[in-house]
Amino acid sequence: MQDLTESFPDRDPAVGHDTPTVHPPLPPHDALMEVCDRLPCAFAILEPDGLVSFANAAFRTLFNLSSHPGLGGPDLSRVASGAVRSLKSLDGRILPVNPVTFGGGRTLVLVEDKSSSSPAEMTERRDALTGLANRVVLKEQIVTALTGPEPDGTETALLLLDLDRFKAVNDTLGHPIGDKLLCRVVDRLRATVRKTDLVARLGGDEFAILQRSPKQPEAAKALAQRLVDLIGRTYLVDDHILNIGVSIGVAFPPNDGNDPDRLLKSADLALYRAKEEGRGRFRFFEQEMDARAQARRTLELDLRRAFALRQFEVYYQAQMSLHDKQVVGFEALARWRHPQRGMVSPAAFIPVAEEIGLISQIGEWVLLTACREAASWPGNQRIAVNLSPMQFGKAGLVETVAAALATSGLPPERLELEITESVLLDDTAGTLAILHQLRSLGIRIAMDDFGTGYSSLGYLRSFPFDKVKIDQSFIRDMPTDGDSAAIVKAIIGLGISLGISTTAEGVETEEQLNRLRAEGCTDIQGYLLSKPVPASDLAAIFNRSTHP
Amino acid sequence: MSEQVHRLVYFSRNAMPGTSDEIVEGVHQILKSSRRNNARAGVTGALLFNSGCFAQVLEGPSSAVSETFERIQWDERHSEVLVLDYAPVDGRVFPDWSMSFVGASQSGQHLFGDVSAASGFNPIHLKAAQVLTTLHRLVMDEEKQTA
Ligand SMILES: Cc1cc2nc3c(=O)[nH]c(=O)nc-3n(C[C@H](O)[C@H](O)[C@H](O)COP(=O)(O)O)c2cc1C
Repeated sequence: MQDLTESFPDRDPAVGHDTPTVHPPLPPHDALMEVCDRLPCAFAILEPDGLVSFANAAFRTLFNLSSHPGLGGPDLSRVASGAVRSLKSLDGRILPVNPVTFGGGRTLVLVEDKSSSSPAEMTERRDALTGLANRVVLKEQIVTALTGPEPDGTETALLLLDLDRFKAVNDTLGHPIGDKLLCRVVDRLRATVRKTDLVARLGGDEFAILQRSPKQPEAAKALAQRLVDLIGRTYLVDDHILNIGVSIGVAFPPNDGNDPDRLLKSADLALYRAKEEGRGRFRFFEQEMDARAQARRTLELDLRRAFALRQFEVYYQAQMSLHDKQVVGFEALARWRHPQRGMVSPAAFIPVAEEIGLISQIGEWVLLTACREAASWPGNQRIAVNLSPMQFGKAGLVETVAAALATSGLPPERLELEITESVLLDDTAGTLAILHQLRSLGIRIAMDDFGTGYSSLGYLRSFPFDKVKIDQSFIRDMPTDGDSAAIVKAIIGLGISLGISTTAEGVETEEQLNRLRAEGCTDIQGYLLSKPVPASDLAAIFNRSTHP
Repeated sequence: MSEQVHRLVYFSRNAMPGTSDEIVEGVHQILKSSRRNNARAGVTGALLFNSGCFAQVLEGPSSAVSETFERIQWDERHSEVLVLDYAPVDGRVFPDWSMSFVGASQSGQHLFGDVSAASGFNPIHLKAAQVLTTLHRLVMDEEKQTA
């Protein structure tokens, strides 16, 4: 047993395991298969027993035949014998077929599809890679489903599918692997649907299925469940073990939309919800999703306008040193004052601003405004400004910060930039380089919301932070929850041993303050000291701190 | 020139409902089609069924192994398929068996015990090499007994 073990070294269960290598030329077999699949002419090969051993993509599209032998499809055995001379395609056309017997008793079945064998037809109605129907065909069939109420009580469901993590595969392993993976996915789709269903490819990793069944919505639910399971199972592509998943949104005409665009939109909203809830699942459309999306859209529009309309303001929240009870700095916080909505909380608009890419612009504006404001203060209190992960993704962050310092005349040591752990999550090397450049401008860097994130300690070690801010959730729960108290104590201890200061956020009571002081916390911020205030109210705080 | 062999080791859970007799019948159906299809495709290997779980080793040319596995993935008779290893190897460990079988009723059950005890049959803790060596040992033992 020993020797065997040694000759087959352990590998971790390789979830997403990959070894990017130079790709060898396609073996002739694969190349041939690919050529067959790209041919516009539909054909299949029948074994002597009448079973299909091969069908190209055009054939599979016409008849919804699985790409794997022996699974479903039209009865071709009678074609081989010459008893049948035509086949009914999925879109209801009767197509003449032409059987040709060749070596080994096999039969080549050629389909004479005049309407779709032209190259133009191929590109206009089918996806070139997979041979699937495209959006044009899907919309046509939705219209058909909407017009005639089916005599047999058949109802239609539209399933919209979006692959999870497919982009990562494409980005890390390249398009050739991504394309092969897509073909495998399509094979699984084809193998799962019924002959009467339509599978279409709408975009890179987006697919749609028009399912017809007398038993809706149960049939759609069963299909969606099966697809989430099947598409989510591991793929082997070349030497790679690939794991992706699928999210699905389902809509039923005519209730969820009585024209193709409305129906697609409803399915898309349901898909969006499925992804929001964690992907790898399906959701049926509900009217309430529409209302929510509507509300979300107006918020987005308002937010885009807010900038031009100068509806943003910067508020400042004081930070106090526990050592000498002096106000040593302020955190700059973005506020949005909307004429109808009133003051919109950052929790409501920051995530939306992040999603629509507005956060960098807002962040820059806050930085500039706060630096200018702080430069005019009577004392030399620090000003802390938040940086979002997205600002790190954009080029020119260091230049922007340097420019803010130069135009405001604020000494760099008075500026403190706060980042969350999520900034360090992706592209750590690039991010660390930027952080070091910022530090070399003379700026302080603080770790924000500490304890709420991921592998916190590793990140603290990866960069010489000047300060750690303890998330307010721990401070709030500290008096009642032993775990929170222990975490606070641990973070403060960590700060002491790393020689960096710790600021407790959200301090509201004397009790919290006393405990924090006893643990060795260096600074506090919170309502006990002051809530965030507009620049015009800062004078009162300055006066208070000079005359305690 | 010898062919390039890929080896796949995976683990999955039985999803066939029914009495144990029905399940055993189901496993035999799986074996029947495996032996037929694998012999044709140039795939060899071993299948274990124990405590409601499958462990399987498939060996052969990469396209044959991945195509066979793709078909196995479509199978609703099992679920939670976990691939432990898939890589090119120097040669086959099961050159002579289109699909050798080790089942719960076999004398080898206690031998496999060390894997199931060590792992608690939690597939996360199973290592490909462990499955491979155990399967190989069990198949060899059975060969000896029937010889
Ligand atoms: C655990 C498990 C292992 C299987 N192993 C194989 C196999 O090695 N080869 C194979 O052809 N089919 C295998 N199958 C069966 C396939 O999933 C599929 O049902 C079969 O290949 C269909 O072929 P048939 O129509 O010729 O029966 C396995 C199924 C299960 C559940």
